[in-house]
Amino acid sequence: MEVPTGFLVISLLLCFATTGYGVTFTSLQRTLVVTASPTEGQVLKAGDANITVTWGFNRTFPSGTDSDYRTVKVKLCYAPISQKDRSWRKTVDEMKKDKTCQHKIVARPYSASNNTFTSTILRDIPSGTYFVRAYAFNGNDEEVGFGQNTNGKLETNLFVIQAITGRHASLDIASICFSAFSVVALAGFFYMEKSKGKSSK
Amino acid sequence: MRDQIEGSPGTSMHGVTGREPVLAFSVASPMVPTDTTAKFDLPVDSEHKAKVFKLFSLANPHMRTFHLSWLSFFTTFVSTFAAAPLVPIIRDNLNLTKSDIGNAGVASVSGSIFSRLVMGAVCDMLGPRYGCAFLIMLSAPTVFCMALVEDATGYIVVRFMIGFSLATFVSCQYWMSTMFNGKIIGLVNGTAAGWGNMGGGATQLLMPVLFEIIQKAGATPFTAWRIAFFIPGWMNVIMGILVLTMGQDLPDGNLGALQKKGDVTKDKFGKVLWYAVTNYRTWIFVLLYGYSMGVELTIDNVIAEYFYDRFDLKLHLAGIVAASFGMANILARPFGGFTSDFMAKRFGMRGRLWNLWLLQTAGGVFCLGLGLVNSLPLAITFMILFSIGAQAACGATFGIIPFISRRSLGIISGMTGAGGNFGSGLTQLVFFANASFSTAKGLSYMGIMIIMCTLPVSLVHFPQWGSMFLPASTDNVKGSEEHYYVSEWTEEEKQNGMHQGSLKFAENSRSERGGKVASIPSPPNSNPNHV
Repeated sequence: MEVPTGFLVISLLLCFATTGYGVTFTSLQRTLVVTASPTEGQVLKAGDANITVTWGFNRTFPSGTDSDYRTVKVKLCYAPISQKDRSWRKTVDEMKKDKTCQHKIVARPYSASNNTFTSTILRDIPSGTYFVRAYAFNGNDEEVGFGQNTNGKLETNLFVIQAITGRHASLDIASICFSAFSVVALAGFFYMEKSKGKSSK
Repeated sequence: MRDQIEGSPGTSMHGVTGREPVLAFSVASPMVPTDTTAKFDLPVDSEHKAKVFKLFSLANPHMRTFHLSWLSFFTTFVSTFAAAPLVPIIRDNLNLTKSDIGNAGVASVSGSIFSRLVMGAVCDMLGPRYGCAFLIMLSAPTVFCMALVEDATGYIVVRFMIGFSLATFVSCQYWMSTMFNGKIIGLVNGTAAGWGNMGGGATQLLMPVLFEIIQKAGATPFTAWRIAFFIPGWMNVIMGILVLTMGQDLPDGNLGALQKKGDVTKDKFGKVLWYAVTNYRTWIFVLLYGYSMGVELTIDNVIAEYFYDRFDLKLHLAGIVAASFGMANILARPFGGFTSDFMAKRFGMRGRLWNLWLLQTAGGVFCLGLGLVNSLPLAITFMILFSIGAQAACGATFGIIPFISRRSLGIISGMTGAGGNFGSGLTQLVFFANASFSTAKGLSYMGIMIIMCTLPVSLVHFPQWGSMFLPASTDNVKGSEEHYYVSEWTEEEKQNGMHQGSLKFAENSRSERGGKVASIPSPPNSNPNHV
C-alpha cells in the first residue's frame, strides 16, 4: 500500500499547488502606456471601422522593470456599463478567471517603444462600450504588467462598438419561403384529403 | 367489448402513465382475445389495437404510428430548446442581459401550458394525426423566424411561439392509446414520452455541431447561429409531411372516415373537470411534477450556458455535457416506472409513494450539490445523478397518476403535464432570470426547493391503500377500491351503467394493496361488460 498513498499525497499536493496561485490584477503595475484611435464616445461599426492602438513602456518606471517582458497582448475590454447584468463578462481579480477582456486585437513580441497596430474591428465583436488594455507577459505566459487607454476608474476615453446584426436579406427570404411552404403544404394536404373524402361518398 | 366510454375525456390520455402494467411487452390471449379476422402485422384485440409492442418494427399502422409519434414529439423538443446551447453566441449578437435570457427560457415553456390543454380537444375533434401535423407544421415558421430576430424582445417572442409545439406530447400519447391495447399502453407511452424528452438533450449536441460546421463553411458567428436554426425548422416540416402521408388516426383508417359510423357516448366535460379539480391529490401532483419535469425543462435551458461560463468549456463541449442530461431520459424515465411497479408488488401504493419521494428528493440533493461543486468532473457526476433522479421521478409520477381517478384520468394527466411546464417557468423566473445571484447559486436554491416541494407527497392518502405514513382505512365500505372509484359517479349515472369501467378498474387495482394480494380475477357473472 506504499505506492498508492505516495501517489495520493503527491496528487493532493499538485492540486494545491495549481489552485490558489493565480496572478491577480491588483498585483500588476501600470507599466505600459496605451492609446487607441477612437475618441471618447465615438461609435464604431464592427466589420467596417478601423481601430489603431499604440503601446510602449512607461518611462516613469525605473528601467529594467520590463526586463522579463516577452510578449504583449492588446485586447478589447468591456466597460462597466456593458458588464451590468451580464455575469459572463464579470471582472474578477484573479486573472485566470477574469472575463473583462475577451477580444484580442493583436499579440506581439515585446519591444519598449514604437508599437502600433491597425485593424478592422472583427464581425464577431458584440455591441457595447469598450476600452483598450494591453497585458505584458513573461516567459511563463503570466501577466506581469498592463496598460490601458482609460483611467483607473474606467471612465474616460470609452468608445462604443456597434455589432453587425448577423441578418442577411438572403436568410430573410429563405426563412419566409420555407415558412410559406410549410403552411401551404399543410393546407394543401388538408384540402386534398377533405375533397377526396367528399368525392368518395 | 368496451371497458370504458369511448371518446370520453379520460380515455384519450389513457396510459399517459407508466402504469397498466409497465414493462409488459405483450398481452396474452386469454386475458384479451385476439381478433383473428383482422389482417395486421401484429396480433390485435377486438378494437384492432395492437397487443404486442415490437420496438424495431415499422409495421403499419401500429408500430409505424409509434415511431412517427415519438419522433414528432422529439422534434418539437429539439426546436424548443435549440436556442439553449447557442445562448453564449446569441447573447452577444442580440445584446441580451441575464434577465432577457431568463425570461426567454420562461417563455419557451409557458406557451405549451395552454397548448397542451387545447390539444386534447383538437385530437378529439380532428384526430391525433391532424393534431400533430398541424402543430408541427404551423410551428415550423416560428423556428425559421429565429433568423430574423434582432433584439431581446424578438428573441423572447419567438421562443414563446416555438414553445407551443410541445403540445405534441398530448397528440403523441393520445395516438398511442388509439393504437395499443390498454394492458401494454403503459410501457408504450412511457417509452414514447421518454424518447421524446430526449430531444431536449439531443439538441444540445446538434446545435453547437451545426454552428461549428456552418462557421467553418465561412459564416460569421452572428450569422451562423441563425442558419443553424433552419435545420430544426426543416425537421418540423419533414416530420409533419411524414405524419400526414404515412400516419393514420386509428388502426382501421382515418378519423374522418370512421366518424360516420358508431354511436359514441361521450362523458360530460364539465363533470370530468369537476372531479379532477376537486380531488386534492391532483393538485399535489401538479406541484410535484413541476419539480421533476419542470426542473428537467429548466436544466435543458440553462445547463449548457452554465458549463460554458463556469468551467470555460468550448461551446460544443458544453453542449456534449448538457446533452448527457437530456439523453439520460432514454433509460431514466422508464426506470422510474419500473421501480414504481417493483415497489408496488411488495408494498402497494405506499411503496409507489415512497419510491417517488426517494427519487425526487435524491434529484434535489444532487441539484443542490451541482451548484456547490467547483470541479468539472464532480459537476458532471452530480448532474448525471440529478438527471436520473428527476427523470425517474417523472416516470414514477405517472406510475401513480392513473390511480387518482378513473373518470378524470385524461384531465388530471393534462393538468399534471401543464404543472410541469408551469414549474419550469416559475423556477427559471425565480432562480435564473435574476442578476442578483449566480447560476450556481440558482441551481443550489432550486435543489433545496425540489426537496421542499416533494414533501407534500406524504399527504397523498388513499382510503383503500393508505399513504406514506398512515395505514389504509379498515372500514369495509370506505376502504374498498370500488367505493373510491365509483364515488365519482352520481346515482343517475350509475343507473345508466356509466360507472362500469370504474368498477372494473377498481377490481384490477387491488394489486395496489401490495404484499401477496394479486389482482383478484372477477367472477364471470359479476360484470356484464366483461366478454
